Amino acid sequence: MISFQNVSKYYESVAVLKNITFDISKGEMAFVTGPTGAGKSTLLRLIYFGEKPDEGSIRVSGLDLASLKSSSVPLLRRTIGVVFQDFKLLNTMTVFDNVALALRIRGMAEKEIRAVVTDALKSVHLRHKSDSLPVALSGGEQQRVVIARAIVAEPPVVLADEPTGNLDPDTAGHIIRLFLDMNLRGTTVLIATHNRELYRHTGKRVLKIDQGALAGEAVG
Amino acid sequence: MKALSYSAKYALKSFFTSLWINVLSIFTIASGLAIISLAALFFLNVELFTSRLPERFSMVVYLKADLSQQDAQSVSETLQGRQEVMNVRYVSKEEALKELKQALRDSRSVLDGLQDNPLSPSVEVKLKKDFVTAAGVRNLSEEIKKIPGVDDVYYGEKIAETAHLLKTSVRNSALILFASLLAGIVFVSYSTVKILFYRKRDEIEILKLLGATKGFIRGPFVIEGGLIGFFGALLGAAGALVFYVAITYRLSLVIPLFKTFAFPLSLLLALPLLGVTLGVLGSLIAVGRLKV
Repeated sequence: MISFQNVSKYYESVAVLKNITFDISKGEMAFVTGPTGAGKSTLLRLIYFGEKPDEGSIRVSGLDLASLKSSSVPLLRRTIGVVFQDFKLLNTMTVFDNVALALRIRGMAEKEIRAVVTDALKSVHLRHKSDSLPVALSGGEQQRVVIARAIVAEPPVVLADEPTGNLDPDTAGHIIRLFLDMNLRGTTVLIATHNRELYRHTGKRVLKIDQGALAGEAVG
Repeated sequence: MKALSYSAKYALKSFFTSLWINVLSIFTIASGLAIISLAALFFLNVELFTSRLPERFSMVVYLKADLSQQDAQSVSETLQGRQEVMNVRYVSKEEALKELKQALRDSRSVLDGLQDNPLSPSVEVKLKKDFVTAAGVRNLSEEIKKIPGVDDVYYGEKIAETAHLLKTSVRNSALILFASLLAGIVFVSYSTVKILFYRKRDEIEILKLLGATKGFIRGPFVIEGGLIGFFGALLGAAGALVFYVAITYRLSLVIPLFKTFAFPLSLLLALPLLGVTLGVLGSLIAVGRLKV
């Protein structure tokens, strides 16, 4: 589902990712871990074509990103739900509209959208905040809105960049269970985190990155 | 269809969110379109006025005084045979004198003591509408003068030339004005949408990351540009109408000609369409030139 072959990325000749090679199978759930600045976020950005690699090749959902036409980028991104570390919520839209946006972009009918968004907000315990603006929510609540937006269209791949960074341990546990449930239903999930507690006892694969290089693998 | 509905809703929302910049653009477009309307109005009326002139236009071909009745008839027939001529009327010396006396009935003393008839026979020539141009009439006059038996040709040379000059100048000025103002309006829409586009670049970035297509992102901006053009045109049309009513009414009190000044309603209907077209055009250029 996600394949990296000798991928490197440089920012002004400084290597952020060095010769990374790994495969994530369809329906697999894995964690990418490492200290802050290790290159976890860059790795996720390369998957959703937020950035291009300088070396190596990447395949996602059967698409070779090196030969991806700009007109096909939206199609790639619709197969991926992303939980951004900095949320990327639209502050002029309500919580409901922010989540619904992922479906409107995919052309879903408004009648269906209401029910599907309500379910997604229920799953992150935010149904009661449906009409609020993101600025009126706490950091943790905003993060849960982002998660709802990432999963609402049930994309085959979900990427999450520090998805529990702003959450209390109980809510973080709930969110991880949400990702595990999605994975059980067949979604490929890749989570970048520096929080060991998050993958401990999950039994899932953990890719360790240190100073831009793949430093090993373990099972959580 | 769903994307269009979303774009329309989003454009309306954005229109009111960025109300002030949109209102400013609307007023700018309205001023431009009002000027265009008034220029078009002036041009249409000049056209109308000058198009009526040929109907009243005639030439008088004076024949030599000693020309026989038969030769005069022959000249008359020659003139009638020309493609530019609609009809001719032969006026004999006697008829000319009779008409002169009729015209001078209040000052008949002027003609007292007149022994002989000093007037020449003539042929009044009415031209076909299409041939009443300054150059056309001048050429025709020169050719008629060459016909044997013709003494002189009189026509309202100055009237024909002035009407032609007026028509050409107004048409050229109107064309330059139209082109400049239309370009100006497209530029206003372009700039407005470009500013809105930059103001929303973070939103656009998020939409792109969520998988939105170029059409989905650009749609609301194009609709918003159309809305700005539409409202600008409505305001412009209203302004032009108010200006027309106020000015022509006042002028008609002094110059009766202004009573006949026409205001075609089709202009009022065409203006919003023109506004939408220009607004959409400006937006398309703005969103097309910026990389989405």
